[in-house]
Amino acid sequence: MESDVMWLGLIALGGGLAAALIGLAYLLLRLREAEQRVRDREADHQGVLDRLQENEYRLRTIIESEPECVKLQAADGTVLEINPAGLRLVDAERAEDIIGRKIYEVVAPEYKAIYRENMRRVFAGEAAVYEFKSITLRGRTRWMETHAVPLRDARGEVYALLGITRDITEHKWAEEQGRRHQTELARVARLSTMGEMATGLAHELNQPLAAIANFARGCIRRLRSGDMAPADMIEPLEEVCEQAERAGEIMRHVRDFVRKSEPRMTAVDINQVVRGVVKFTEHEARQHETIVTLQLAPQQPRVWADSIMVEQVICNLVRNAMEAMAERHSLRREIVIRTVPHGEDTVEIEVVDTGPGIDETVIDQVFDQFFTTKTEGVGMGLSISRSIVESHGGSIRAESRTGGATFRFTLQAIPASLRKDERRYSFHS
Amino acid sequence: MSDATVFIVDDDQAVARSLRWLIETVRLKVETFASAQAFLDSYDETKPGCLVLDVRMPGMSGLELQERLAARRDYHLPIIFITGHGDVQMAVRAVQAGAYDFVEKPFNDQDLLDRIQRAIAHDAGQRNKEEQRSQLKALFASLTPREREVLDLVVEGMSNKAIANTLGLSAKTVEVHRAKVMEKMHARSISDLVKLAMQNPSVTS
Repeated sequence: MESDVMWLGLIALGGGLAAALIGLAYLLLRLREAEQRVRDREADHQGVLDRLQENEYRLRTIIESEPECVKLQAADGTVLEINPAGLRLVDAERAEDIIGRKIYEVVAPEYKAIYRENMRRVFAGEAAVYEFKSITLRGRTRWMETHAVPLRDARGEVYALLGITRDITEHKWAEEQGRRHQTELARVARLSTMGEMATGLAHELNQPLAAIANFARGCIRRLRSGDMAPADMIEPLEEVCEQAERAGEIMRHVRDFVRKSEPRMTAVDINQVVRGVVKFTEHEARQHETIVTLQLAPQQPRVWADSIMVEQVICNLVRNAMEAMAERHSLRREIVIRTVPHGEDTVEIEVVDTGPGIDETVIDQVFDQFFTTKTEGVGMGLSISRSIVESHGGSIRAESRTGGATFRFTLQAIPASLRKDERRYSFHS
Repeated sequence: MSDATVFIVDDDQAVARSLRWLIETVRLKVETFASAQAFLDSYDETKPGCLVLDVRMPGMSGLELQERLAARRDYHLPIIFITGHGDVQMAVRAVQAGAYDFVEKPFNDQDLLDRIQRAIAHDAGQRNKEEQRSQLKALFASLTPREREVLDLVVEGMSNKAIANTLGLSAKTVEVHRAKVMEKMHARSISDLVKLAMQNPSVTS
């Protein structure tokens, strides 16, 4: 009996053991399956990782071999990454020279504000293109142009600025040369205008000189014949002095006119400039039998300008009007020069004539270089006038109406609130 | 000639005043005008003298004023143009159009005054001739038609007898007409009469 129980026990144990073994085998099998799955997944994962790495490597190769400077910057201007072209651009020998440092270290002081403003825009989500002057790590000056876009993380937040920057120093230099050339052209045009005016000027100077000679000789004759008391000489001698001053005034004006100089920006009373022009073209007006009328706004803000250049613009417009009216034999020959303040920050100058007007088909070309309708014109006057006006931050346009043409241009006025701080305005000059 | 006036037209008042100051040294009367129109408005043809004009002026130019004066009457004041440097072409045009003279600025005072004196003398001479011509016209106008016929034939050199035959008159009557003509024409001799008649183009033609 006991052995039965023992057998039974053994059998049960054996059965249990067998079951356990089976169970174990099953578990082992599952485990192996799971391991296989994990291994499979890991292999998958590795593939993704490899692809990612491949991608990054490819991008990095592209960026590193890119001839333009490519860089990443943080919001505070810290350079996060930069490619070799970028290193060369800022004269850095190793990446550590610039990475981790602020980009502002290579931005010229006067451009830091502009740079900051563009950084702000990019981190606000906009794309931006900006030019700035750079002082490289070796102290060289370069002009740069950056195209910048925001880089966003998975949550869509901007975490860096991606900038592609190129060296535009040569381009800038060419531009500068062009501008210098234009200034030089303006001077040449002023001189040739002087040439045209030489006859007029000679006449203008002859008037006071002739008067002086007449007064003086009248005195000599009277003194020789003895019919003159010394007191009688005072009046003619005063006339002599006055005429000598008149001649001097004409000469001063000519000197101002031909002087070669950079634009000299000052606070200018535009009405005074207009009056000067009228005085200076008086002789031509007489010659062309033209009446010049002024309608000057009293009490208007001063403009920030080079008075000689602005004078030249008005001179050109007035002279053009006179010549147009004379050449087409206009019966009524009148020019109105008007100054009109527009709000606080702009003053408009109008030159209105009663001439033939401007043909619709060419009105857009009148400011082009070498465009002229005059038989002896060279087509520089209006082109130079436009560059002068634009260099002053203004604009110029031509209009034709029945019975004449109107030219108007704007200049920046000095608002009352800023009148004491004119230096701020030099930025626009 | 002492009542001659120099009329100055110049839009440049300082120049006009200085010319007056200079010209008055030779004791001539001077009147100045600031524009051609101002001069025309007060122009009196009977006043002798000369006109000193700036060739370039606003409004009516010196040349235009000259044209206007010429259009008004056969004879007008002699004009001296004052031209600026480089205005010689204008001066030539002015002289072609009948200007008396021109001076170029800057001018010598004596030169200008001499030219003014010559112009005034020329004006006086012209006025004198004009005067004689109109007197002569008046004399001719006083003759009757018959007396004119007799005069014409006398000037042709006909004898009294031939004139009598031609006109169908008696020699006695021709004699009377002839004496009357001599008297009316203030002629002292036949040769005087012929000279006077020759001066009147309406008779000789």
